[in-house]
Amino acid sequence: MNYLIGAFKPPCTVTVEFNDAETRKQANIKKENGQMAPVPLFQSQESVVGEVRIEPLPGKKVEHMGVKIELLGQIELYFDRGSFYDFTSLVRELDVPGEIVDRKIYPFEFSTVEMPYESYNGVNVRLRYILKVTISRSYATNIVEYKDFWVRNFSPPPEINNSIKMEVGIEDCLHIEFEYSKSKYHLKDVIIGKIYFLLVRIKIKHMELEIRRRESTGSGPNTYNETETLAKYEIMDGAPVRGESIPIRLFLSPYDLTPTYRNINNKFSVKYYLNLVLVDEEDRRYFKQQEITMLRID
Amino acid sequence: MQQPAQEVMSTAEEQEKWLADAVALVQHNAFFMHRALDANNLRDALKYSAQMLSELRTSKLSPQKYYELYMRTFDELRMLEVFFKEESKRGRTNADLYELVQHAGNILPRLYLLCTVGSVYIKSKEAPAKDVLKDLVEMSRGVQHPIRGLFLRSYLSQISRDKLPDVGSEFEGEGGNVMDAVEFVLQNFTEMNKLWVRMQHQGPAREKEKREKERSELRELVGKNLHVLSQLEGVDLEMYKEVVLPRVLEQVVNCKDELAQYYLMDCIIQVFPDDFHLQTLETLLAACPQLQSTVDIKTVMSQLMERLSNYAASSPEVLPEFLQVEAFTKLSNAVVKVIEAQPDMPLVGAVSLHVALLTFILRVHIDRLDYVDQVLGGCVKKLEGKGKVKDNKATKQLVALLTAPLEKYNDVVTMLKLANYSKVMAHLDYETNKVMATVIIQSIMKNGTYITTADKVDALFELLRELIKDGEGLPAEEVDEEDFKEEQNLVARLVHMLVNPDPDEMFKILTTARKHFRQGGPRRLEYTLAPLVFSASKLVRSLQGREASEDSPVSLEKIFQFLHKTVEDLSMVPAPELALRLYLQCAEAASDCNMEPVAYEFFTQAFVIYEEEIADSKAQVTAIHLIIGTLQRTQVFGVENRDTLTHKATGYSAKLLKKPDQCRAVFACSHLFWVDDEGGVKDGERVLLCLKRALRIANAAQQMSSATRGSNGPITLFVEILNKYLYYYEKGNPQVTSNVIQGLLELIQTEMQSENTVQDPGVDAFFASTIRYIQYQKLKTDEVGERYAAIQT
Amino acid sequence: MVLVLAMGDMHIPHRAADLPAKFKSMLVPGKIQHILSPGNLCIKEVHDYLKSLCADVHVARGEYDDDPRYPETKLLTIGAFKLGICHGHQVVPWGDLDSLTMLQRQLDVDILITGHTHQFKAYKHEGGVIINPGSATGAYSSITYDVNPSFVLMDIDGLRVVVYVYELVDGEVKVDKIDFKKPHQRT
Repeated sequence: MNYLIGAFKPPCTVTVEFNDAETRKQANIKKENGQMAPVPLFQSQESVVGEVRIEPLPGKKVEHMGVKIELLGQIELYFDRGSFYDFTSLVRELDVPGEIVDRKIYPFEFSTVEMPYESYNGVNVRLRYILKVTISRSYATNIVEYKDFWVRNFSPPPEINNSIKMEVGIEDCLHIEFEYSKSKYHLKDVIIGKIYFLLVRIKIKHMELEIRRRESTGSGPNTYNETETLAKYEIMDGAPVRGESIPIRLFLSPYDLTPTYRNINNKFSVKYYLNLVLVDEEDRRYFKQQEITMLRID
Repeated sequence: MQQPAQEVMSTAEEQEKWLADAVALVQHNAFFMHRALDANNLRDALKYSAQMLSELRTSKLSPQKYYELYMRTFDELRMLEVFFKEESKRGRTNADLYELVQHAGNILPRLYLLCTVGSVYIKSKEAPAKDVLKDLVEMSRGVQHPIRGLFLRSYLSQISRDKLPDVGSEFEGEGGNVMDAVEFVLQNFTEMNKLWVRMQHQGPAREKEKREKERSELRELVGKNLHVLSQLEGVDLEMYKEVVLPRVLEQVVNCKDELAQYYLMDCIIQVFPDDFHLQTLETLLAACPQLQSTVDIKTVMSQLMERLSNYAASSPEVLPEFLQVEAFTKLSNAVVKVIEAQPDMPLVGAVSLHVALLTFILRVHIDRLDYVDQVLGGCVKKLEGKGKVKDNKATKQLVALLTAPLEKYNDVVTMLKLANYSKVMAHLDYETNKVMATVIIQSIMKNGTYITTADKVDALFELLRELIKDGEGLPAEEVDEEDFKEEQNLVARLVHMLVNPDPDEMFKILTTARKHFRQGGPRRLEYTLAPLVFSASKLVRSLQGREASEDSPVSLEKIFQFLHKTVEDLSMVPAPELALRLYLQCAEAASDCNMEPVAYEFFTQAFVIYEEEIADSKAQVTAIHLIIGTLQRTQVFGVENRDTLTHKATGYSAKLLKKPDQCRAVFACSHLFWVDDEGGVKDGERVLLCLKRALRIANAAQQMSSATRGSNGPITLFVEILNKYLYYYEKGNPQVTSNVIQGLLELIQTEMQSENTVQDPGVDAFFASTIRYIQYQKLKTDEVGERYAAIQT
Repeated sequence: MVLVLAMGDMHIPHRAADLPAKFKSMLVPGKIQHILSPGNLCIKEVHDYLKSLCADVHVARGEYDDDPRYPETKLLTIGAFKLGICHGHQVVPWGDLDSLTMLQRQLDVDILITGHTHQFKAYKHEGGVIINPGSATGAYSSITYDVNPSFVLMDIDGLRVVVYVYELVDGEVKVDKIDFKKPHQRT
């Protein structure tokens, strides 16, 4: 196939550069191959400004029907591979049809772009932002170049942040009251709370707090749910007696969390849960799951 | 809650193996940890230290083995701490480290690491000590497993000891104050105790004892907290009173665990200073009745009282403090309450408490007899309606209760002032009561306590009633004769401690004593009356020659009546030999008082007894010699009475069974007619008659011997008579002449040379020394020498 | 050197409660080789006490003695000395030295230990010495008024006896010493 590739090798190189590439923040993102790589980081309402450089290979020229750059916000559902949903699509025409012989630089600018959703790499879904440069050709395939960038949006601190407080139990067996000081957490937050044992008739071995992420894709009967346990954090060793209260302090920073995403473009949601698990001596698990809202706060 | 079966059933070998495995893993991880430390690799250091600490998550080890494992990791953590210290010098903030270690997923390693960093954190003063301590102690709640929790908190206690914001500590001020320190230690203590108590309730019931043993091994971990509290500079009396003690006691009471309550109460008493106890007595004591009814509260309280007693003894300056806080009243009330609160407390417990209280009084309020009596009264109340105590241990304690004041005051008279003393004693069983009575008498004798009034005698004898008369509790079986004798001899000895120099009171004492003794029956009178007779005789001596006053309640007459009656009682027992001797004693006393009729009466009684009651020939010999001896000394009689009595005496002498006895008694009678004193009777003729009669009897004895045995008997009697002759010869009895003596000498010599005479070296020696005596006397240059010149040897 | 304790007429319990404490503290077990008592102890307890001081106890019977096994007189030899013990109530007049010397002749002893009068006496004469150790308890006596407790310790050394008499006078122990040498020639 090598020679074929050679044969269809585009006659030019296309590079997309952001103007502030030197100074712009970057996000470390896990690539499909598992490697972490830095990616330029944007947030909504920022202007995406840069230039596209087209450099014909030596001795070649590029005839084209026009050059354009698009800024696309795409949702890609893996179970439905191939189907992209663009929720954002902006176009800038860079050139009228003609011929490019020498290196040519086209500045572009998308000012104050609305990028309502954060980039996300999930199990079944991916939300990405890309710049797409297209050199249209009439007798050959178009030359297309992509440039990924990452978007993270900050929320304001929540005005209302109630604690989560609840009494749960199994009749005549176990009654506990738990309290998490907040229902909304930022990504580097600490979960503070306590468990109060009202009745203990089972032989508890230990207790842990799990952070779980549930990614839902699709809708209606075609909803796919994928749940991952991101953290298992032992908060109690041994069996408490009635009246005991056990403190919780869980630092979120070590875990790879995202904000909570609710019904993104009617395509998917990512939600977070705290799962309190009590394990008894027969390794039976008793648990109670509570949703928490994760926020990205500046 | 049940633990996995292999844990409870594990053998010693299994334990060893598990420990060895765990230690190996600790060492393995420690090795990598050290490497990371050397490489300044924080991440790996945390990873391996957490893995190392994970070994402490085991449930398999017994507390003892777990402790060994803990000590291993403890040493490693010290190194980690040093590393953390350096880490903060390298620019990492302690706050960072403090957060970082909390990322560990397992709680036990996480908390050990947190404590370790916390230690560095406090030391760095980057955060107030109080905040870090509070956080650590709070977070430690996550470990609810008893053994793991106890050791974790013990670690916390260990690393925090020198970092408490105590008064004078470098952490005071910004780091908090002593209140924070106290709060921290109290909380750790409370939680540790809860864990410790919880151990008891885990595992099967049949393992209860083993668990108690295991728990016992861990108690110091809990108690150490109290020790830390006691070492805090800032814990002054005020703080102890307002905060420390109430909080500790609250935990002690609420934990409702026998082992913990006993140990912790003891701990409180031991670790805090005495003056604190004294000033918080009420609070401390108020906790006692609230403890479980199975707690050995008596030992606890006894220890408290013991400590306070020692404190009181340490310096006289502290005594006013005891009075000021009314220590006794409080202790006394507490004893009452504890007994009420523990209705199932065995009697021995209740009595022991009283013993402890009594001991306290004896050390602190030696002058308060009323307190002593009050304690005895409290005990009486407890014993009410219980009759004789049958429980051996309780009896022992009762004896201790009765003995303690006796030993302290060393004065039975003081005991007699205690109304409740005899009431307590009444609850002792018959045998023990007697033992106690014996102890009382021995105390009197040992301390030379004199009982000086009739009233006291009354009270004392009431106390000793089991010895003095047959009580109701008398056991059916035969009393051991030897024991009985010993007891009664002891009572008899006691009589000599009943004295008062005032004759009136003394006489009252004697009549009172006799009144009591009479209730003892003849068996006892044989022992008890004789000392009374001698005691009364002494009284006679003290009155002798004194002018009798009209209004004096006591007179010689009365005493002699008393004596007469007493000896008469004794003769009725019957104890004729003793009665005879006592009559003679009385006769002599009466004679010395110049009371002829009385003396005569006593002699008469002596003779009557001799005639009627003394049948044994040997006893007769002794009796007759005593009669002769006494009569010889009695100068009061006029001719008529004297003749009657001497006639009787010689008559009886001649009627003794054995000739030698007759002979000796008769020549002894010679002295009745010759009293060597000035103005004494000197009837030489009758002396000679006695001696001649003695000779006749000696001759008769000799003939009897010859007739029955075919040989002459020893001539001892002749030599004895010869000596009597010499005696009177020397004294100048005109009837005794050298001729007579010479004749007797020859007679003896002839007899000695006679083949018929049985040789007796004793007699030969006797005779030889008599001859030697004569020779000595001859050598004398005085009147005696002259007289002896007439005798040839 | 042999230490011999002579002690008698305690009259416990008839006339006295016990030996004076001062005496008791002086008399320690193991120092004395022989005890000679002219009787009237009167009870076993007193005998046991003497036994506790020294195993070799010799008692002659007094008229109040309980124990019928005590003999009227007892003879023994210690070193070069012959000793005799007799309570003395048998010798009328009581305490009369002339009569006692007669008893001594009869017993043919160098030292006669006697009692009954409760009065200490050590009487040297041609034929030997008569010792009355008095009453160890200071017991009442109709013969002697105001009896002071006393006893005698004899130190027998060869032909010499040193007699120490211990007397309790007004609560103080007084000690007196009397020397006695055994006459050389004897037939």
